[in-house]
Amino acid sequence: MKNGMIRTNKGFFEITVTVNGEKKELSVKNGEFLLDALRRHGWKGTKKGCDTGDCGSCAVLLNGKPVLGCLAPAVTAHGGVLTTIEGLGTVHAPHPLQRAFVEAGAVQCGFCIPGMILSSKHLLDRTPDPTDAEIRKALDGNLCRCTGYVKQVEAVKNAAKRLKAKC
Amino acid sequence: MKNIKYYAFPSSVKEALAVLLNKKYKAMALAGGTLVAKTLPDTVETYLDLKNLPIKSIRLHGGNLVIGAGATFDDIDRSKLCRGWAGGVISAAAARCSSQLIRNMATIGGNIARPHSFNIFPVVLLGLDAKVRLQAKKGARLVDFQDLYTSGLGLRPGLDSLITEIVVPARTKKWKCDFIKLAKTASSWESYITLFFSAEKKGRSATQARVVVGALSPRPFRAPEAEKAMLSGAGGQAAARALAAELEAARAGEYRSSAASSLFKRFIEGQI
Repeated sequence: MKNGMIRTNKGFFEITVTVNGEKKELSVKNGEFLLDALRRHGWKGTKKGCDTGDCGSCAVLLNGKPVLGCLAPAVTAHGGVLTTIEGLGTVHAPHPLQRAFVEAGAVQCGFCIPGMILSSKHLLDRTPDPTDAEIRKALDGNLCRCTGYVKQVEAVKNAAKRLKAKC
Repeated sequence: MKNIKYYAFPSSVKEALAVLLNKKYKAMALAGGTLVAKTLPDTVETYLDLKNLPIKSIRLHGGNLVIGAGATFDDIDRSKLCRGWAGGVISAAAARCSSQLIRNMATIGGNIARPHSFNIFPVVLLGLDAKVRLQAKKGARLVDFQDLYTSGLGLRPGLDSLITEIVVPARTKKWKCDFIKLAKTASSWESYITLFFSAEKKGRSATQARVVVGALSPRPFRAPEAEKAMLSGAGGQAAARALAAELEAARAGEYRSSAASSLFKRFIEGQI
């Protein structure tokens, strides 16, 4: 079996996963979801919102695709590649999307932004020049209670232009 | 999920079945996990993760459209083959279900194996006369979609068998189809009423008709009397009355039956 079968040991599973480019051995609790496991191990940029798959603030990239950390059992990441918001950029060297969100004023309370930026990254990875409709569709699972989404759409478009210019 | 002792990551259908059928493991298959990851029964001790199985492709085979059970809603939404089939109704069904984050995870196999009444694909696939390939202990079986949920099948997908692919017959490729999903929002997962229609027009009457109702009963069902009314060219009013009678027989509830028949009448008047 690929990655085999793993068994619980005193209530924990040992999984191997690449997080933000670094291979890690993580102990995850039986019944623990990816969101909680990531936060417990220090990746607190992944936010806990509704915990029912509705708000998207827990979104992370699993093998390049945004998924809901609150609905994915942590063990499903075994053998996979995870990207959290911490893996995208830093305060001193932000990712073009992070820079664009700040510049467009797309961040108010900021709670939804990690999920929104990761969803946007996936969109731009496969659609470098998205339309407004494509952006809104890609972000339809990331709820923001502060804004009307106009600034976020603008930010994604600006980031797309910037990334295109870089290529 | 606290009773889980093992997580299995099979890389072939054969390996997955071996775990599923071994009583020692008390396994349950999970595809995207969006419907059941938080509601696993306490009796389940092994989580059988299907993500590595080679059952994700969408292809043509013998003129039929074959959708791997592991294809996500997003895969189906973006598939050119699905978009070009039956007026794009399969892709539209995927696109109008929940959010992009859910569509990245949820699979068509999971949607039909765990049939909540509001699930969209059971309705659409029943309307398209689809078949489902089930892999069980005794080998593979191609089952008519309408038989999938009947006790006569003798199999419980996800517990003693696996859905590996969905076969949509070639004859439906040019069908004109549509569906109406009445829900809280356009992309809500849970619909109050789902109606699938297909009709081919010749003169004033239809030459082919399908009416499938979802969300009004535990399983989707075809409405043969409403289809007959469409075929006879009796008009929207008569077909809607026929559907209302069928919904009443199915105890769908007064308000939703009335709303469903009105939506149906509007569809017919727009099509025929």
